[in-house]
Amino acid sequence: MKKIKVSLESVREEIESFYDYKKWHFLTLNGLALAENRMEVQWIFSKYEALDEVIVYYAEIEYTDIIPSIVDMVPSAIISQREIVDMFGVKVDGSEKGLYLDEDSMQRPLSGCAI
Amino acid sequence: MKKTINIPLGSQHISLLEPVRFKFECENEKIISVDSDVGFVHRGIERACTTKFKFDAIGYVVARVCGLCAITHSLSYTAAVEKLLGGEITKKAKYLRILLLELDRIHSHMLCLSHTCENAGFEAMFMRIMGDRELVMEIQELLTGNRVQFDYINIGGVNRDINSEVAKKIIENLYEVKQRVLGYMDEFTNNWSLSLKFKGIGALSLDDAYMFNAIGPLARASGLNIDVRNEIDYLPFNEVGFAMQTQSEGDINARNIVRLHEILNSILMCENVLSGLPEGAIFTKLKGKPNGEAIVRFEAPRGELMYYVKGNGSAMLERVRIKTPTFASIPVFSHIFVGENYADAPAILASFDPCLSCTAK
Repeated sequence: MKKIKVSLESVREEIESFYDYKKWHFLTLNGLALAENRMEVQWIFSKYEALDEVIVYYAEIEYTDIIPSIVDMVPSAIISQREIVDMFGVKVDGSEKGLYLDEDSMQRPLSGCAI
Repeated sequence: MKKTINIPLGSQHISLLEPVRFKFECENEKIISVDSDVGFVHRGIERACTTKFKFDAIGYVVARVCGLCAITHSLSYTAAVEKLLGGEITKKAKYLRILLLELDRIHSHMLCLSHTCENAGFEAMFMRIMGDRELVMEIQELLTGNRVQFDYINIGGVNRDINSEVAKKIIENLYEVKQRVLGYMDEFTNNWSLSLKFKGIGALSLDDAYMFNAIGPLARASGLNIDVRNEIDYLPFNEVGFAMQTQSEGDINARNIVRLHEILNSILMCENVLSGLPEGAIFTKLKGKPNGEAIVRFEAPRGELMYYVKGNGSAMLERVRIKTPTFASIPVFSHIFVGENYADAPAILASFDPCLSCTAK
């Protein structure tokens, strides 16, 4: 697993320059709660027909930041973008809340500040 | 602008006994757009893994994500933890893990094929395949103690050894299953209800399979060479005869044919596991607590399953992320529906073999 640190401002540009949809395969968008109201967002890709070649682009953000969408480049990313909105209470450009969680259930359960 | 009507499929529907809802916008019979909702029974397993259970118990917790592919879930989690702990498990344990993984695939594919028959109105074939599937369930019970939702994989190996009587029974049952699958091959190829009716329906092109990151039998039926067994070396799949199965048409019929060939290949792999089963222990004690992060993928019956595990050297993990095949495939499902007739939607949905238990983890 190779990890590459990016900023929210540069992540779209980084993914656009690397992502060839016939060579790479988007696995998922992952979130990880960090201390002091911060979280790590990971965009995870694997290479077709290569032995366990996985690349993770990651950015450390605050919960109030808006994560840019990559759906125009990777259409299948929409579902994990919606998941991270529910699970961490963050905003992802163009991704609605309410995929998994109802209004009366625990909100942002995987963040450091679940309510 | 033509008038359109919205028709829901689910959240409870006779073609799929799990809660998912697709809302189709139709122009006459033709579907022109799709909205999906998968969040009816979310269970909070990822949170439970980091707040309620220690790392050595989580393999049993994630086996509850899905009853059908419990082995793939517990195996993926366990392999991720073994990666963080270091150390090697025995070859015998690896072979037994492959055996269970492939048995899981066989009975899961048989379940999907039987539902495809049910959707075609071929009830007799549905009953026949479900009856034959019992031969595999019987083996799984002998090996693990359970028909589904097995607690067989353990960090460091497996929980039960195999004896010569069980091995003999497995060989006998798999021989029977093989003969019957060869019979299904004839039905799925030549019977009008199962071949002609499904040819050209719910098709996914190769380019769209790439574009939407399709996985599993759905992708392979469109000619996309993606099978995690070909991309990992945690288990020796190539030693026991793994061969990727693809078709090119990408329709419901092609998905059925891919699954039939995969059952035959899995039977061959099981036979090779038993004929070449190494001597030795089934368990190796791995010391320490997970520290660092690991990503592990396995090929579940419905496609690529991914586990991300992060530990900090204590018994409680910081993060367990589960990416299940059906959840990741919702966008491609929606894409395939567009342009199809509403009347074909239940059969198309059944051909995806969706697992909502995995999705609402």
